[in-house]
Amino acid sequence: MDFVGIQQEFAHAPATERHTHNRWEPYVDNGGTSLAIAGADYVIVASDARQSNGFNINSRYDPKAFHLSNNAILATAGYAADAKRLVEVLEQNAQMYYHKHDRVMKTSAMAQMLSNTLYGRRFFPYYVFPILAGLDNEGKGALYCYDPVGNMERVVYQSFGSASALVQPFLDNVVGFKNQRGADPARLLERDQALKIAVDAFTGATERDIYTGDWLDIFIVDRNGVTHEKRELKHD
Amino acid sequence: MLAQAEHQQQSAAGFKFDNVKRNQLLTGKGFKQSTATKTGTTIVGLIYKDGVVLGADTRATADTIVADKNCEKIHYLAPNMYCCGAGTAADTEFTTNMVSSQIALHSLNTGREARVATAMTMLKHHLFRHQGYIGAALVLGGYDITGPHLYSIAPHGSTDKLPFVTMGSGSLAAMSMFESRWRPNMSRDEAVELVKDAIEAGIFNDLGSGSNVDICILTQGNVEYVRGYSRPNERVEKEQSYRFPRGTTEFYVTKTTETATAMDTSA
Amino acid sequence: MSKLKPGEISMGTTIMAVEFDGGVVLGADSRTSSGPYIVNRVTDKLTMVNENIYCCRSGSAADTQAVADIVRYQLDQYTAQHGEPPTVKVAASLFQEICYQNRSQLMAGIIIAGWDKREGGSVYDIPLGGSLHREPFSLGGSGSTYVYGYCDKTFRRGMSKEECIEFVKNTVSLAMTRDGSSGGVVRLAVITKDGVERHIIPGNQLPEQYTG
Repeated sequence: MDFVGIQQEFAHAPATERHTHNRWEPYVDNGGTSLAIAGADYVIVASDARQSNGFNINSRYDPKAFHLSNNAILATAGYAADAKRLVEVLEQNAQMYYHKHDRVMKTSAMAQMLSNTLYGRRFFPYYVFPILAGLDNEGKGALYCYDPVGNMERVVYQSFGSASALVQPFLDNVVGFKNQRGADPARLLERDQALKIAVDAFTGATERDIYTGDWLDIFIVDRNGVTHEKRELKHD
Repeated sequence: MLAQAEHQQQSAAGFKFDNVKRNQLLTGKGFKQSTATKTGTTIVGLIYKDGVVLGADTRATADTIVADKNCEKIHYLAPNMYCCGAGTAADTEFTTNMVSSQIALHSLNTGREARVATAMTMLKHHLFRHQGYIGAALVLGGYDITGPHLYSIAPHGSTDKLPFVTMGSGSLAAMSMFESRWRPNMSRDEAVELVKDAIEAGIFNDLGSGSNVDICILTQGNVEYVRGYSRPNERVEKEQSYRFPRGTTEFYVTKTTETATAMDTSA
Repeated sequence: MSKLKPGEISMGTTIMAVEFDGGVVLGADSRTSSGPYIVNRVTDKLTMVNENIYCCRSGSAADTQAVADIVRYQLDQYTAQHGEPPTVKVAASLFQEICYQNRSQLMAGIIIAGWDKREGGSVYDIPLGGSLHREPFSLGGSGSTYVYGYCDKTFRRGMSKEECIEFVKNTVSLAMTRDGSSGGVVRLAVITKDGVERHIIPGNQLPEQYTG
């Protein structure tokens, strides 16, 4: 899953021009991390709420996981302004869908729409790494992850953002049972287990990634709806 | 033989620039050079009624990853002088070490305690000679025969002598504390409290700084170095244990090699 | 001529010196900045290099400090060897030698002024390329561009010491308020045969002028 965007243009410019000619930059990486884990009858989504730019903190609590009207959760990473715009577009289209079909959008429909929305901006992408979490038609946990231009994949667990290089291998080990002899790789975690792992992933990431910290938003989606919990992380 | 002797002579002292040309060629072709560990730092110094207080955070970063959560940024220079370092970790370490040894020899030669201005001059000469390529931003504090002294030294070799200074990526956050609360002739407790708050401003508001506050108080004939004067960022306990049962790691081949033979004790 | 290296601390400055019968008046603002950040708001850019000779530094803080340190050392040695202090011209020549020989590596615009028994008060200017000019008065630094007109209109030959102090105070103050890279306090040095007087005019006590 490679991000092919505006940056490519720079790669072809001669070295000297790249350094001296300072062009306007439309994108900002606001840091932060999101993760999601799917279970048999739930999904859990966790995102830290620090928003930063360079060595500065823009906000200690600016959520980047969004509770959508169809009880799906959209967790993001990357450029916060694009993420917010993306949620607006998604919600508008979901609203249109509801009025047109008199039916709330299913997670699978929302997932495909998100892919189409992202690809629609193939040549000026939303600089966002989204994870869409909800329940599928059978009530099982459903997770879809994307690259910024709309490539979509249904997964069981995923982490995106500034600490994803730290968190994803941890999830591979304890959620995907990688490098564990005799473990069943298809086994799904119990909900309390997944919650503990999500929290530990973030307290750990906060220790070593400078862009992850301050507050942690945790959403759990199950047949009863969505619950939200806010936890404190370290502020340094 | 001759080549070996030459090699040994070359490596006796100073920097080696053998790879400069090669690296310039490589970077010209788009090769990315490895990044040195930077201490994106908050360091400060403050003169009070009867001495100097130095302060530093303890986070060392390699790009966006925290390389060391509790590193020491207040370096020893002489019995009456300490020096906070920001910038490239290796540069601050080696620069202060080198000047520390020069100062020790200077004291032995003169039979006197070295002056802070002497250390400052040595540091600025060294940094100026290397035209900013030694990425060390320093806060030098000490107490000598002429009283308390405090300097900031930038990587290009410029110095400033002031009653309060800050350096590093958190210097703006720390300076805001000094600019709002500093007064002339503060008491020791007030000075230490202000230095702690200045460093904590850096720890919490600058992403390059973090973890704990180290403090060093220099007065006439006395030094008090407090490692971890404030520890506002202890790690929280994990929700569960991640110890795996023995044998969890996959293996395919088992081979045992004898590494030690029995000693002959008959002789 | 060299440019400022990235991250280098610069003194986007206002400096000046004026000659009067029997001495000189030097003036400077006190701002040292690194990009948009003020590193030092009370800098002393008027640096002593000998008993009755001072220099005003503008450009790279590191370069001008290094040059001034070297010249001070050479002048100390001169005094010891000759048994009398050097003239301002000697000091200016030493500055020029360093500034010219190293012009490709230095970012230093320096004004040298002082009193000696041969010439009385004299002012020398060494701009970026390393040339040397004797002037009745001289301006330097980024702020100077705003006040050349004022100076050309106001300056008169044969002003008294007090008139020169007012002239310098007004000029630096005007430049400071227009130039973003200059500011803080106005620092003055008055050098005569009797020695050096130093004055500081705090930023809130600058001479009256239009401020918008």
